[in-house]
Amino acid sequence: MSAVRKYWAIFQTTLINSLAYPGELIGRSLMILPFMWIFYQLWQVTFTATGSDTINGLTLHDTMWYLMMAETIELSRPRVARTIAENVKDGSIAYLLNKPYDFMLYQFSVSMGETIFRALMTAVFGGAMVWWLAGPPPDLRSWPFALIALLGAWVLSFLVNGMIGLAAFVSEEVAPFEWIYQKLAFIFGGLLIPLDFYPQWLQAIAFALPFPAMTYGPSRLFVSPDAGLFASVLGQQAIWILVLGIFLTLAYRRGLAYLTVNGG
Amino acid sequence: MIMNELKFLLAVWKANLQSVMEYRIAFLLQVFGMMINNAIYFLIWVIYFDRFKEVRGWGINDMFITYGIIASGFGLVSLLFGNVFNLGEVIAKGRLDYYLSMPRPVLLHTVASRSIASGLGDFTYGFVSYALSGQYTWGGLGRFLVGTLCAAAVFAAFMILVQSLAFWIGNTSYLSSMALNAIITFAIYPITLFDNTAKLILFTLIPAALMGALPAQFVHTFTWGTLTAIFLGSLVFLGLAVAVFRLGLRRYESGSGIQVEV
Repeated sequence: MSAVRKYWAIFQTTLINSLAYPGELIGRSLMILPFMWIFYQLWQVTFTATGSDTINGLTLHDTMWYLMMAETIELSRPRVARTIAENVKDGSIAYLLNKPYDFMLYQFSVSMGETIFRALMTAVFGGAMVWWLAGPPPDLRSWPFALIALLGAWVLSFLVNGMIGLAAFVSEEVAPFEWIYQKLAFIFGGLLIPLDFYPQWLQAIAFALPFPAMTYGPSRLFVSPDAGLFASVLGQQAIWILVLGIFLTLAYRRGLAYLTVNGG
Repeated sequence: MIMNELKFLLAVWKANLQSVMEYRIAFLLQVFGMMINNAIYFLIWVIYFDRFKEVRGWGINDMFITYGIIASGFGLVSLLFGNVFNLGEVIAKGRLDYYLSMPRPVLLHTVASRSIASGLGDFTYGFVSYALSGQYTWGGLGRFLVGTLCAAAVFAAFMILVQSLAFWIGNTSYLSSMALNAIITFAIYPITLFDNTAKLILFTLIPAALMGALPAQFVHTFTWGTLTAIFLGSLVFLGLAVAVFRLGLRRYESGSGIQVEV
């Protein structure tokens, strides 16, 4: 229990810190506005061109709220890869390892603390714009489904980002891995186009990967609260958290074996 | 005079290139990583146009050219004038002192003092994208080069304008990030999406159309009107950027922070 309390305290501290500079928080969160405006232009034209109110079961209203949720997840997700990579490259990991906490759990607590208010503010601004453009948000009953799935998405995102950061043990530069991962998440997570609009063969590839559990699942639940879909999303998240968690643990242990500390 | 400055620029670029290539693997990772990154991102448009065919007459081939121009223009600026992304920070932290103490044009020296290796990946990818557009001709390639230069000039000028606000408001990091996101995002999307009011904004306040759609139109079909428009557009924005920077420079207060720039 004391271990949980320790990481909870780290999480709380970071959470409070994230409110220390409200201007910065608002500045970051405003970034969603141009995206939502341009998405509306694109999908409004697209729906008009198809001459139908729905495309693969989604209306323009659903599509916009789906995209708002997906963009909130992307803009607020934990970005620990660079932090971990810097810790590895500049050697400061050596000073963090002798502290009375697990390095990766510490990073997890910090990143979650940084994420919560960023996500909340992004959703507020993005939601206000989508409400204005496309109408009111989905039924309140869908929100708990999406929020629970959102937590799983953040954990998954942390696990992948953590592995990218740990790549600094063997690679001089990790930024390209981060760019490529981000773009794969765009494509296979359904960030810019809902996966429902993809051809069947591409949907099949996407659903064999962890990305839909990070973006598509929570976003789709937000506009279509369905117990079956909810169970399916949580099931996928649980499997991928287990798999990626094992990979991260192994990568971390292997990375420590590489670590050489010279003086200090 | 101009020859002297050109020689100076070439010397700075050479030093920058040697600096970014010091770590060869990291350099290659950034260049090829950026090319792969761009290619994966473009798949979004391939998926979209495969399903919906066109956006008010704008098709996948137009996207290939537009994306190519933006990537090459962005890459050129990152590679040769990489400090346009940091200019606000340089101003706010008093690091202009170093450049002011040199007998060279302050703005040019400052923005040319940094190269971003991934810019080479962006620059190269732009040509790949143009080659894939299905509209490749030698004349088109010449127009692509001209379009890329104009797009790069507009983009660099826009970033200098936004970052120069640091002379008045101090920290511009979030404003700059927003401006960068806005110009790239609006430039990448088909211009046919926007109504006339939005287009006016995209030619003036956020000159995304001058960075993407208009140079792409010039690559597609040569007209003197389009050439004049992209050329004048880049000149006006560059002139404005230099004027605002100079105006701001009068307000600049040194932090007595003379330091060695490595």
